[in-house]
Amino acid sequence: MKDPEMLDRDGEDGGAPILRICGASKAFGGVQALENVSFEVSQGMILGMIGPNGAGKTTLFNLISGLYPPDAGRIFFNEEEIQRLPTHQRVRMGIARTFQNLALFENMNVLENVMVGQHVRTRCGFWGAIARTTGVRREEAACRENALALLDMVGLVDQALKPSADLPFGWQRLLEIARALASRPRVLLLDEPASGLNALETGRLGDLILAIRNQGITIVLVEHDMSLTMSVSDRIIVLDQGRVLASGTPEEIQTHSAVRTAYLGEHCEQR
Amino acid sequence: MTQSSLHETVRIGLLTGAVAAAGILFDNAYHIQVLVFIGINTILTLGLNLLMGYTGQISLGHAAFYGIGAYTSAILTVHFQFSPWAALFPSLGLAVLVALIVGIPTLKLSGYYLAMGTLGFGMIVFIVFRELDFWTGGSSGLAGIPSLKIGSVDLMSGRNFYYLVWGAVLGTLVVSRRLIESRVGRALRSIHGSEHAAMAIGVNTQAYKLQVFVFSAFLAALAGFLYAHCIGFISPGSFDFMASVRMVTMVVIGGMASIWGALLGASLLTLLPEWLHAFADYEMIVYGLILMLVMIFLPQGLLRGLLDIYERSRNA
Ligand SMILES: Nc1ncnc2c1ncn2[C@@H]1O[C@H](COP(=O)(O)OP(=O)(O)O)[C@@H](O)[C@H]1O
Ligand SMILES: [Mg+2]
Repeated sequence: MKDPEMLDRDGEDGGAPILRICGASKAFGGVQALENVSFEVSQGMILGMIGPNGAGKTTLFNLISGLYPPDAGRIFFNEEEIQRLPTHQRVRMGIARTFQNLALFENMNVLENVMVGQHVRTRCGFWGAIARTTGVRREEAACRENALALLDMVGLVDQALKPSADLPFGWQRLLEIARALASRPRVLLLDEPASGLNALETGRLGDLILAIRNQGITIVLVEHDMSLTMSVSDRIIVLDQGRVLASGTPEEIQTHSAVRTAYLGEHCEQR
Repeated sequence: MTQSSLHETVRIGLLTGAVAAAGILFDNAYHIQVLVFIGINTILTLGLNLLMGYTGQISLGHAAFYGIGAYTSAILTVHFQFSPWAALFPSLGLAVLVALIVGIPTLKLSGYYLAMGTLGFGMIVFIVFRELDFWTGGSSGLAGIPSLKIGSVDLMSGRNFYYLVWGAVLGTLVVSRRLIESRVGRALRSIHGSEHAAMAIGVNTQAYKLQVFVFSAFLAALAGFLYAHCIGFISPGSFDFMASVRMVTMVVIGGMASIWGALLGASLLTLLPEWLHAFADYEMIVYGLILMLVMIFLPQGLLRGLLDIYERSRNA
């Protein structure tokens, strides 16, 4: 399944990082959710991010996508500082995400969810919508075609006209990924996409993640399913209590003793 | 959707036919007047529905914009000898400007700030209408508002005003439809669905909320303008808190996020007080009850609710 050319497990590759986090911190009241977190993601890689519940993974996504401002630290996308930009501008630049607790638009059908996902790649405004010029109609038709193609990619094209809330849970996760892809991102942040999926669905999700990466989209994958994360990720970062505990290739992480104690839940016997 | 747009076109065609037919069939001046009020209320409801039903933002002071449209035009025509058509643009313009001033700070924050902000705003505007009496005539109102003319045709006479108002209703319906079925409409609905998710897919939620708020204020002012020049006399009582509640009730009865429901909600709440004269004394209670019952039993609005019940009884 993996394309050997795309795999670059040496980690420290030459390309400029597409995403760089420098000393990001965030506290909620007394809880230090993130403390001085720094790392880079190179173009075209899949970065796995693991860590126990409450480690700060979702908070990190919220900082990157701009839903919360960081208390301190800087975030670079393509060497451009973005931590002060509003979320919608970051999406336009090419950062898309999914949510751990699904955030589909339940007042829309499946197709509309993916169409609205193309918001930053379409242009029709207030007056255009009212005038409904040929240009606007053409854009609308293209938007629809793109949405159907994306639904086809995730295997939901037959569900296009169903209310999104009527889909089974696993399909809703896929729909959210299709919606995120609709913004034609360069970086895709996936927050626990396999949670709630059965083994078969998780396997397919793994294939989908690799297919997305093979389109040149960089992925940050937060996931508790170890076999999925280990099998698709080029590198892995371990977060624990808001700090980076370790980072390395999946093999390195699996043998890292601190990680095993903190996260994998194994009591490492004294060496 | 091509099919549904076709359906829509047919429906709008049917409505146009019905409007024309009613204009020919009804020759009782009172009936025509009631139809005019239904039309004016439909424009109000359509505008508020875009804001509330589709975007999920609540305004409890929309009567203020209705009043700004009515009073601005009335004052300019009565005291400053503007022709009514020349007064149309400043009336709509002022409502848009005020909506921007109210909307920019309140819509920055999500949650109920708009509801609170517009509630207070509506009360202030009501007091301004009542107290600025050298212009507005205070509580006793402002009379002698000239009627609209096109060339030498006086729109006040006969059915002409009816056609003008319903022409505006049809225009508003088509515009609302087009907005809803566009990229803009999807962005508005995404805000209703989940404001966080809307941001995360790249919708500038603040800008869209402001746009739809201003547009609904614009439509309310248009309705106010028509109202003032239709009856020639206005007083603050038509634009008080109760009037705002009435508009919200029309939206809720018709069904949030339903353009055809707006027509139904506006019709029912215009006819009800006409049919039940005792209604006026209990208006507040009746609206409260209607709002409660519809929310509990028919949360999708009367139209959708009745259709559902009908379908269920047929399938049973
Ligand atoms: N919006 C918030 N308000 C208050 N506390 C929060 C908020 N978001 C996250 N936290 C806290 O920050 C910490 C990290 O949470 P989170 O980023 O969700 O962890 P993870 O995704 O790794 O499970 C937790 O202690 C959580 O309770
Ligand atoms: Mg999380």
